[in-house]
Amino acid sequence: MKLCILFGIVFGIGGCLAVAAAQEHPPMVPAAGPGVFTVKPSEPGAFTLMVTGHMFTSRGDIEKYLAYRAARFTIEKGGQWFTLKEDRGTGETAAPAPARDPEGARFSFRMKYFRPVWRYKVNGSPEWTRWSPFSGASFISSDPKNISHFEVSAEIVVRKGPMDDADPLAFESWALSDLLVNQVSPPK
Amino acid sequence: MSKSTLKYCWLALLAAVGAQTAAAAPWARGYVVAFYDPAFRYGGRADYSRGTEIEPGVDCPRGSTVHFAVPAQVAHSLSLVPWRTPKEVEELAHPPATGLNRDPAGVYFHTWRAASAYRGYNREIETYINPFAAEDPGQPQVTSRIGEGLNLDGKIKPGDFVGPDGEKGIDNQLYRAWGCDSPWRGANGNGTLVLRSNDKMVEGLYTIVIRISGTRDPMNDDNATLEIGYSPDQIVKDARGNVGIDYSYRLLNSEQYTKLRARIKDGVVETEQADIHMPQIAWFANQNRDAFFRQGKIKVVPNEDGTAAGLVGGYRDFRDLYTQNAFAQSGGVQGVREHEDHVALYYALRRNADGMFNAKTGRYDGISSAYRMKLVPAFVVDPDKPMEIPLRESEMRRRQAFDVTAAATIRAVDTLVPQEVPSGSGELAATDGIEIGPGGVPIRGRGGRRSGVNPAAEDKVTGIPAKRE
Repeated sequence: MKLCILFGIVFGIGGCLAVAAAQEHPPMVPAAGPGVFTVKPSEPGAFTLMVTGHMFTSRGDIEKYLAYRAARFTIEKGGQWFTLKEDRGTGETAAPAPARDPEGARFSFRMKYFRPVWRYKVNGSPEWTRWSPFSGASFISSDPKNISHFEVSAEIVVRKGPMDDADPLAFESWALSDLLVNQVSPPK
Repeated sequence: MSKSTLKYCWLALLAAVGAQTAAAAPWARGYVVAFYDPAFRYGGRADYSRGTEIEPGVDCPRGSTVHFAVPAQVAHSLSLVPWRTPKEVEELAHPPATGLNRDPAGVYFHTWRAASAYRGYNREIETYINPFAAEDPGQPQVTSRIGEGLNLDGKIKPGDFVGPDGEKGIDNQLYRAWGCDSPWRGANGNGTLVLRSNDKMVEGLYTIVIRISGTRDPMNDDNATLEIGYSPDQIVKDARGNVGIDYSYRLLNSEQYTKLRARIKDGVVETEQADIHMPQIAWFANQNRDAFFRQGKIKVVPNEDGTAAGLVGGYRDFRDLYTQNAFAQSGGVQGVREHEDHVALYYALRRNADGMFNAKTGRYDGISSAYRMKLVPAFVVDPDKPMEIPLRESEMRRRQAFDVTAAATIRAVDTLVPQEVPSGSGELAATDGIEIGPGGVPIRGRGGRRSGVNPAAEDKVTGIPAKRE
């Protein structure tokens, strides 16, 4: 009996210490599976980042993961901030392009302007369907459970030096990474 | 050589020796700091018709911050909280008065301060201790190219300011980041916290003194010394309420004391560049701390009337600036009362940080800054025996509240592990009997202190004992 109590105390204290240690350990985002995250140079200093998967969770979760990877990629490239190049197709003007406001408030990032473009397949169909946040169409009308494959992409330009914080499409990489590091995990 | 020639030679020699002796005599002069504020250059027009604290100017084209001042701004800030619905945001921005007992502070105050304290990515995260876990609500920044301060890095960079006297390369990114922040912006030092902190200093919260000494000409001495630090002696005022001239103050060799080599040219004193420990701006006793300027410098320019203008600059740790501004009381009380948002201030500090490069993280931990000091002549003396900066027993609870809150914040920011509000933190303290629960819910009916009220002072003014809760 005494032995049981002793074990209980030892493992209880050990458990508490383990929890405290886990809480104090810097957060880490799990590694992505093969092919989930890809980068392709598009122009000098510009890159197209893409996240792909088969199990759709939510638009917010997947776009946040892409934003996090964009921030980390910028840091890995030695940049301090990046700008998003909006991928607007012909006629995709329902959501107006955000304008610079040099006299207004300055921001480290504005998540509402991180608007990547989607492609997806439903029920194993070979055809891709495009969805643009600038088109005015509501987000993926199909039942998410039927999405068998998706791709979310954003083209960014890696920047160095002081941030142009009046640019609504500018994102400070460290600030964005700090915000998202506890929130994201790679899709499957 | 004739006798007369010899006589002239002797006279000349005596005059030269006499002059040399006079110039080489040890000398010292002292000052007490009579006004102390961030070197934020106000750019509002003197003829601006509205003459309010938010008037626009060349420094801040849209005026000062209006965080937590108007429902539209509150709605914007709360709309960034991912777990708030649009309906919730509207209701919080326009709190209904029906069904509630209105109290002197008003329902807007408590609703907004409570909601502002929980804006993280989930509803359990307290925002002021974990500012990185909330989205950036945005901060107006100084757009002017003219700014006061010192060239700390010896370089002229694109983002530097040009001094009012035309000097280029002025490093004062704290002005860039916080220069439009409502409580720190105003003409002739009339920002609300500038007034408040100086009022408290002159009324005895703390005293800063400067002693300049040398062995040559006080107007031109390339081997002088400047000492700056905390004095335990309360500032003495004259019959008009101004800081009195030529009173005596002790200068303590404490953790808020620095001795620097200085050069004096035509009366203008400029120190060497070194770490400077001296009191920081405070409006509560729990803020009586070391300002700690890294790579700091001090400049003193004498005025004709015997007073002088001082400028101290250096890189300050962004974590010190953030916690010292946010947690004198609590982030929500300060934010709603002063119309500032510490999440926005946090991001502005980090975005504009330009010093104390941390090789481990690859980021800057410091931001260049400058503070103005109006100096009044005083006799600055050493204490009879060494002594530490006195701590008031009555303030220890507030001091501990600040300490635990600041420690949790620094741990959160450094590790990115969201921290809970520690026991004893001012973030847990009731204001007007109202505490803040998780999710930013005001909890009524509990005891606690009233915001910004000093019962003793209220008794004195009204002649009626203030209501204690």
